[in-house]
Amino acid sequence: MQPLRKLAAALACTAALSFTAAHGADLKLGALYPFSGGLALLGDESFRGVQLAVDERNAAGGVNGSKIVLVKADAVDANQAVGEARRLTSVENVTAVFGSYASGVSAAATQVTELAGVPYFELGAVADTITGRGMKYVFRSNSTARNFAERSIEAVVKVVAPQLKADPKALKIAIIFEDGSYGTLVSGFQKEEAKRLGLNVVESQSYSAKSVDLSSLVLRLKGAGADIVLQTSYQNDTTLFIKQAANAGFKPKAVIGAGGGYSLTDTAKQLGAAMDGAYDVDFPQDTMAENGAPGLRAFTAAYQKQFGTPPRSGHSLVNYVGAKAFLDVLSAAKSTDKDKIREAVLAYKKASGTSAAGWGFDFAENGQNKLATTNLMQWQKGKLETVYPEGVATAKPIAARAD
Amino acid sequence: MSIFLQLLVNGLLLGGAYAIISISLTLIFGVVRVVNFAHGELLMVGLYATWMITSHTGMHPYATVVPVALLLFIIGAAMQRFVIQPLLSAEPHIQIFATVGVSTALLNLALMVFGADVRSAQASFGTDAFQIGPVSIVTGQLATFLTAILVALGVYVFLQHTFTGRGFRALAQNRAAAALMGVNVNKAYILVFALGTSLLGLASGLLAVQYPVFPTVGQYFVLTAFVVVVLGGLGSLPGAVVGSLFIGLIDSIAGFYVGSDLKEVVYFVIFLVILTVRPTGLFGLGRGSE
Repeated sequence: MQPLRKLAAALACTAALSFTAAHGADLKLGALYPFSGGLALLGDESFRGVQLAVDERNAAGGVNGSKIVLVKADAVDANQAVGEARRLTSVENVTAVFGSYASGVSAAATQVTELAGVPYFELGAVADTITGRGMKYVFRSNSTARNFAERSIEAVVKVVAPQLKADPKALKIAIIFEDGSYGTLVSGFQKEEAKRLGLNVVESQSYSAKSVDLSSLVLRLKGAGADIVLQTSYQNDTTLFIKQAANAGFKPKAVIGAGGGYSLTDTAKQLGAAMDGAYDVDFPQDTMAENGAPGLRAFTAAYQKQFGTPPRSGHSLVNYVGAKAFLDVLSAAKSTDKDKIREAVLAYKKASGTSAAGWGFDFAENGQNKLATTNLMQWQKGKLETVYPEGVATAKPIAARAD
Repeated sequence: MSIFLQLLVNGLLLGGAYAIISISLTLIFGVVRVVNFAHGELLMVGLYATWMITSHTGMHPYATVVPVALLLFIIGAAMQRFVIQPLLSAEPHIQIFATVGVSTALLNLALMVFGADVRSAQASFGTDAFQIGPVSIVTGQLATFLTAILVALGVYVFLQHTFTGRGFRALAQNRAAAALMGVNVNKAYILVFALGTSLLGLASGLLAVQYPVFPTVGQYFVLTAFVVVVLGGLGSLPGAVVGSLFIGLIDSIAGFYVGSDLKEVVYFVIFLVILTVRPTGLFGLGRGSE
């Protein structure tokens, strides 16, 4: 019985294959994300964005008449990313790969796809190095760590200083960050940018994210008379810093976080009123205003319909927007050839404020989208409101932190 | 000057938090002679228990101290009876592997049950600060510090002046001789281990006011507690207290004058120097006591 069944299965497979071949082959695209393990929650949230973009495109007739088929690949870490990228490129023979939420996963997977000559569309990882290694077929739609840093410095110059009616150069800035790769990366760009603009950085201090006490750091900043604190942190150290600053009577005129702990509703819940007025730089969120981000409400509605909840974070939105752009690119390329795709990516131009994330598209030679940005948000009465840039703002920034 | 005063106060208060954890660690090590690598995870269990009680009943974390300490007493007794006791005569590294196993199991259990989210107990009293002259003091930290002093005194009196306490000390000095003198070794070990872990329950109630809880939270405190215990002398009660305050002070002062990135370097260097000069720690019993 057994061999016969196998034969039947094989025949069925062959039949299925020849059937699809006859109807203009499906367009196979990989989706490489951490679907299990510690990064799974936001990895899956990111994938949902891709899925929505693909469903939308398939409903509208696919890419040049072929239906898009997503091949999921689970990459929890760099090792698995290499294995899964190999499977996608050599077994599944995908035309291109979407990924990957985590920078470590992306850095490893792109090395495989580049060698295999398969275009890699990065939609969410922020480490600048991913598009800084001279790879020809790695393209990224989303903003990077440098954007986070530049936006936070821009916030000092264009939002906080005018509020205080002060010259930005007269403000004393303190930069504090957790000493892992995330904090070091963002703060490095912050220092660079502050130096370029001639701003006065009075303190730059790292600390272990596992610290149970930051009171001496707070005293140092207080002693230095810091007006503005830029913190790059996870959740625990964000809470610790803000609590201990309040306890020590340290009231900087503005605190600006860079995503991480500052974006989480949990942090705000824990800190209550102490979090009110704190700024946060992060990816566009689904709560921003529609006029600078056309298509945003439609995205939120489609998400709600498909998954039964509102988006769990901004990750699905930026992945959706990026995936849509790259599907446009694949249509324009009219080919699955890697060089044709690269040409189409570089030729793809969209003005800022034309996508659901408010981003435009203009890819540099290194594959990085130059028009992807981050937004400035502020915690106001327990809600994270987008306050800058004005096109997508849902509220006006409030001066001086509430005590 | 006022900044230095504030640093001293901050350091001592932080030391208070380390002290309770270190006392419980050193008590278990001193008597049962087991290095308990699951100590941090037991603290984490205590913090989750505190969080669950406070979020369901609205009780203040301080009020949960009794039930949580009781819970950890039971867990500690069970761990001694079913994990450590069967391995008492085995090689020390086998016992270490066993406690590491318990640690990993608890950590992953917490990940499964609660996920990696950070949760925190809401409390009104304990998070605010008051001023004495130029120095600001957080009420919760002060409460932790004072409790730590009371715990240290209590454990000291218990070990020195009660019949059971004397039995424990006899066990610490020589297990075989104590057994010959009529100490029920297994029962005494279970009691010591459970008392040690119940102190973690006490610490949980106090710390929950200041710190949130997540599966790896125990490791934030316990690595330092291990340093404290070795620094003070393994098994030494005054050593644990003095070591905690010492580490707290270095943390605070070095964090200000040297920088928050290098404060750990400072205290590990001091730690190495002390161990080179006095390998048995500040209050260790001297060479040959092990």
